[in-house]
Amino acid sequence: MQHALLMWKNTRMIVLTSVCAAIYAATLIAFKTVVPIIPGVTEVRVAGVFPMTFGFLFGPAGAWGLAIGNVIGDIFGGTLSPASIAGFIGNFLMGYLPYTLWSTLIPVANGTYAWDAKSVRSWLTYIVIAFISGAAAGVVIGAFADAIGMVPYAIISKIITINNFIGSLIGIMLLIAVFDVTKNQLRLFWPEVMDVSVANTAMKASLGAWLVAAGCILGVFGGFVPGLSWTAVSWPATCLIMGGSLLL
Amino acid sequence: MNLTFYNDEATWLHRLDPRTKIGGVLLIFAICLCFNHPLFIALILTGVLAIFTTAKSMKVLWKLRFLLVLLFVFSVVLWPFFIKGKTVLFQWHGLEVSSESLLYGFAMGLRLMTFVRAGLLLLATTKNEEIANGLIRLGIPYPVAFALATAIRLAPTFADAGATIVQAQVSRGLDLDSKNIFIRFKRFTPLSIPIFISAMRYTNFLAMALESKGFRPDTPRTSYYEARITGRDWLAMGVLTLTFAACLYLRLSLHWGIIIPGRL
Repeated sequence: MQHALLMWKNTRMIVLTSVCAAIYAATLIAFKTVVPIIPGVTEVRVAGVFPMTFGFLFGPAGAWGLAIGNVIGDIFGGTLSPASIAGFIGNFLMGYLPYTLWSTLIPVANGTYAWDAKSVRSWLTYIVIAFISGAAAGVVIGAFADAIGMVPYAIISKIITINNFIGSLIGIMLLIAVFDVTKNQLRLFWPEVMDVSVANTAMKASLGAWLVAAGCILGVFGGFVPGLSWTAVSWPATCLIMGGSLLL
Repeated sequence: MNLTFYNDEATWLHRLDPRTKIGGVLLIFAICLCFNHPLFIALILTGVLAIFTTAKSMKVLWKLRFLLVLLFVFSVVLWPFFIKGKTVLFQWHGLEVSSESLLYGFAMGLRLMTFVRAGLLLLATTKNEEIANGLIRLGIPYPVAFALATAIRLAPTFADAGATIVQAQVSRGLDLDSKNIFIRFKRFTPLSIPIFISAMRYTNFLAMALESKGFRPDTPRTSYYEARITGRDWLAMGVLTLTFAACLYLRLSLHWGIIIPGRL
């Protein structure tokens, strides 16, 4: 979380935040009404190809950019509501978890912060983190949307999770295509822009990563356990995700 | 690409300080959450529509009429299957609908429409730069408000760049009119690459331009636009705060406006 706060002192990271937010918002608004799934709440998110790439390449700037971009999407899509607050947190997590889990979700991750399109390990890490970050957003937004009476958690959490996960899987093509250009030509790879080391092998961070993963599994699958209602699992899962994220 | 719902009129609502309008919308959201009875929420919705009328902004609602109807219908259809009530109307393969859950679904549809209309009320009467200024004055750190304002300014630019790229590819034979959403989704990814790269080039130019003009994220700043809180703002906030307090009293002490106890 430290980098997510420190980045606001870096002009290039602030501009990156604006640019990420603008791309995300423009895509969200352009496709908002094309294929709605739950009108006013969620739709087939073509913009879902961006979060993993933004999170991995631009780190905290990508995370804040997604959060701000989603709010702008709500504002200019005409769907500003209390759920926009949960949307802000959920979309922040979609950008925050890719760069924080990449080096902490051991043994899925190998402790280094690098992308190699030829490495099976990189692909596996990408897919696992894509699921976790998509599910984290689904659980957090779902719990809040259910609490304020917008959409039942049982439906919205799954729709958001699947939507985000599919978007992220397709988005791997974007990461492959732009990784080298962004890192070596444009020099906008976030650890170099902020001049920080990303590798985080502390026990606390690893614990946080697994708490987030546990929260996502509980939130997405917990309701299938006989005797547990979807609404009952939503808040413990949200607490696990938020608590784990703070440890990262 | 026109990224605004702002409706340029000279009404009392347009003249309010942006902080009052942001706070006011949050209070309307909170008021909506006090009840889950359709009659009570319908009264709140009527109040919001009355404010819309005095702000001469009904045409903004007309623009979003289909979305508003869909929101309502979807909520009314969906909620009854997820809420349990005492008076069961019918049961089918574990699905149960009661008169309470039907009324709750109706109430949630109205609530959703009120939420969206309250949000539109802010957007229809406040310019983008006023919203950014209001957020700064409410204590949002300047770099965050700067990022928001810049993103709002850049989004149409990138959308136009995206449209140009799409047109260029369509003129070369790219088929984006396929009915299958998954194929359209997949075809968007190659298009997103040039949009992404051109936007990232812009990042370096903008950062250099800002730094060359002495931009420092952590220094205090002044602004040409200085909003002032007037008596009108205090009156509007006072009325809304009193309404919220009255609604809390009705819900918590008198237990009015409740169809399903234990839910917002």
